[in-house]
Amino acid sequence: MRSSTSSSDEYSEPIATRPGFVRQTAADRPGVAQPVPERDIPDRAWGPIWISAVLLAVLLTGAWEWHWRAYGVTPSYRNSDGQWAQQRRRIDHGEGDALVLIGSSRTLFDMQLPVWKQVTGEQPIQLSLEGTSSLPALEDLAADPKFHGRVLVGVTTSLFFSGYAGRAAAISNWRKQSPNDRMGTALSMHFIEPYLAFYDEDYALRTVLARQAWPVRPGTHPYEDVRKLSLSDRDRNTYMWPKVVDDQAYRDTARRIWAQQWSGPPRPGMETSAKRQKIADAQIDRAVKAVQTLRARGARVVFVRQPVIGPYRAFEDHAEPPASTWDVLLKRSGSPGLVFSDYPDLQGFKPPEWSHLSHADALRYTALLAPKVERLFTRMRDGGS
Amino acid sequence: MVFNSLAFLVFFSLVLVMHAMPFAWRTRKINLLIASYLFYMAWNPPFVILLWISTVVDWFAAQKLVHAERLAVRRAWMLLSVVANLGMLSYFKYGHFLMENFSDIVSVYGVHYVPPKWDIVLPVGISFYTFATLSYTLDIYHKRALPARKFLDYALFVTFFPHLVAGPIMRPTELVPQFEHAHRASRRQLQFGLVLVLVGMFQKVVLADTFLSKAAEAVYNAGQATGALDAWMGTLAFSGQIFCDFAGYSTIAIGVAMCLGFAMPDNFRFPYAAVGFSDFWRRWHITLSSWLRDYLYIPLGGSRHGPARTYAALMGTMLLGGLWHGAGWTFVVWGGLHGTYLAVERVLRCRFAGYRPGPLMLFALGMLTWMLVNVTWVFFRARTFGKAWDVLTGMFGAHGGADPILSTMLVTTTLLIVTGIVAAHWWMRTRTLESVLLRVPVIPLSLGMGLMAFLIVIAQGEGSAFIYFQF
Repeated sequence: MRSSTSSSDEYSEPIATRPGFVRQTAADRPGVAQPVPERDIPDRAWGPIWISAVLLAVLLTGAWEWHWRAYGVTPSYRNSDGQWAQQRRRIDHGEGDALVLIGSSRTLFDMQLPVWKQVTGEQPIQLSLEGTSSLPALEDLAADPKFHGRVLVGVTTSLFFSGYAGRAAAISNWRKQSPNDRMGTALSMHFIEPYLAFYDEDYALRTVLARQAWPVRPGTHPYEDVRKLSLSDRDRNTYMWPKVVDDQAYRDTARRIWAQQWSGPPRPGMETSAKRQKIADAQIDRAVKAVQTLRARGARVVFVRQPVIGPYRAFEDHAEPPASTWDVLLKRSGSPGLVFSDYPDLQGFKPPEWSHLSHADALRYTALLAPKVERLFTRMRDGGS
Repeated sequence: MVFNSLAFLVFFSLVLVMHAMPFAWRTRKINLLIASYLFYMAWNPPFVILLWISTVVDWFAAQKLVHAERLAVRRAWMLLSVVANLGMLSYFKYGHFLMENFSDIVSVYGVHYVPPKWDIVLPVGISFYTFATLSYTLDIYHKRALPARKFLDYALFVTFFPHLVAGPIMRPTELVPQFEHAHRASRRQLQFGLVLVLVGMFQKVVLADTFLSKAAEAVYNAGQATGALDAWMGTLAFSGQIFCDFAGYSTIAIGVAMCLGFAMPDNFRFPYAAVGFSDFWRRWHITLSSWLRDYLYIPLGGSRHGPARTYAALMGTMLLGGLWHGAGWTFVVWGGLHGTYLAVERVLRCRFAGYRPGPLMLFALGMLTWMLVNVTWVFFRARTFGKAWDVLTGMFGAHGGADPILSTMLVTTTLLIVTGIVAAHWWMRTRTLESVLLRVPVIPLSLGMGLMAFLIVIAQGEGSAFIYFQF
């Protein structure tokens, strides 16, 4: 192999002034063909060192797992974007006429898929995303010509009419999932999530560190992130984590976190009722358009407001008054809506942290709600409204 | 496929097993080639066609080049390779940027032109493998190297998965000879290769993703004026993040190759202990800076045609180097700043040719270099000039009354980790990782490795992409 005859250049410093390096790189050899690199291996007993290191890592990981299990955590699916995409792809793979549940965490926690199946004979596809308005998912379904089924749109007014969509990326990116992403999700769901309790975003190193009692920096308004509230099955059937029900202190923490919404400063752009109404109107416009697109394809849409109580309900009713939001949505979209408070048998549920039903209540609530929703769908099919 | 993913863990395990099988060397190379294509296709299968085009064009161009007698013919084949490679790169990476700038320019003359929507995904790693294949034809054109004897060896050089998508940018003379003769990784290579993988993963998953990325994101995505502390912390966090992310990737790549019995060159040599910018570029992304030096700066004239031409070549190289990183003017400014630094340093080196700094002054100059490098990171990280200006002026106290952005935790962890990185770079300045590992007692070494593995596990990284994938 020939070497370059190009002259060296002062772009590089003479090697003599750089003592200590035991090997050179291309930086030391300007303008020549670079030779095969040499890599030295420190002369150590790497076998025993590796064995000790792996043992230590396994011990520490075991202790970490034990710690979180002692705290009450059990293995659960991560409710990842990849898992959402798996369910979303069912529509592409022959289930275009299915019943799809979209909404925020209330629709995710309060709708129990096995019960729905028991009552109606059909297991819905669960596409709700916590902390996310159902509107992006509704628009995604509207844009999919393969979908012509039924949609239960859960409306958490503080999210739907404010347009807040913390996990919107799951919806916008699901078609862009690479084979690598899909494989990662499948491997994680098969080999890790069902077995390791600590493998949960709430117990990731960064989250745990951030939750420590750091001094508050003057002038900042730290927002405490929502803690773990639920457990998920493989098909995204999700229900409240028993600790929220059984542990008073944990439940109080969950309530304190919700209370930040009405005790803290309003979100930018939502300082006045006029600004909030403007945003709500824009959301309603988008929803109406999506519903019209779906209806033109034969799909049917029902809006549902799930149980909420206490200060959370007061906050939502104040921030997004039903008369100027929910009622307008139903009127303009022409779709039927169902509010828990309109039905005596749906009243009286007491969400432990004001916003989501306990698992036991969710089972009962689903059994009561499913026939009502199915009747609305049937009426729509038969030409009623 | 990203290194920090479960999919890669399975893939790499299978590749290791396949490569250790008692197959013929040619069969094992074919296995590696297929594995490398699968590795690439895990992102976006159709883009493997670009890889094939680049491979085939340069193979034939090199074959013709080596047999051509006349300079004009040789030049034509070289240009074919350059145009084909840079053409693909320009289309996918710079097409939108060019159209937007064209639109802006013609609007100055009153012509309203709206460029069509550019909905083309950038093929991952195209900047890296384009440079790798270009070096093949250019080395042969310059008669620095002979072409590969076998197409399989050459195709594997282009595609070899450890370096394929984010370097180190390999030269054919570094890798092709390793494919010519049968060999397999020794037990020590496998064991130490895994140590490098562990170290790289720790840098990426724990330091870059878990600790530093949030602070940089919070500052550079904030829609408000940035105060001095936040501007500095956000920028320092990014300087630490990009180092740990990219050096981490390179370390993993080197480790992965070593596990298979191949050697790849260093890509980083503790750059935050550089004294001066020429030193910095001999320590940061070495395989790119040396590529730009050999195939751009020197052909542009280097320092052989007088001061004016030297400075022009220097600046041109750095501006194009900036553009290589991203299709945006902020990257060009980043390159321009580095070009300016290099030019000023050159002037100072000429004026103070006999000056030899003492240890304290050396450290002071090193810290000055690091601070000025941090200033350039502002343009590298900011998406717009507006944001860059906001952070830059914030760093120098322009927004005294700005609301704070970062929490105590983010400020504290950023300070601790970045200080640790800089201190480690100074301590390692004239050492190699290997020379240090040779002297660390066994117990601390085992404890350190075990702790790193544990932290990687509990960090729960979700396969986030490496920053340099976007380039």
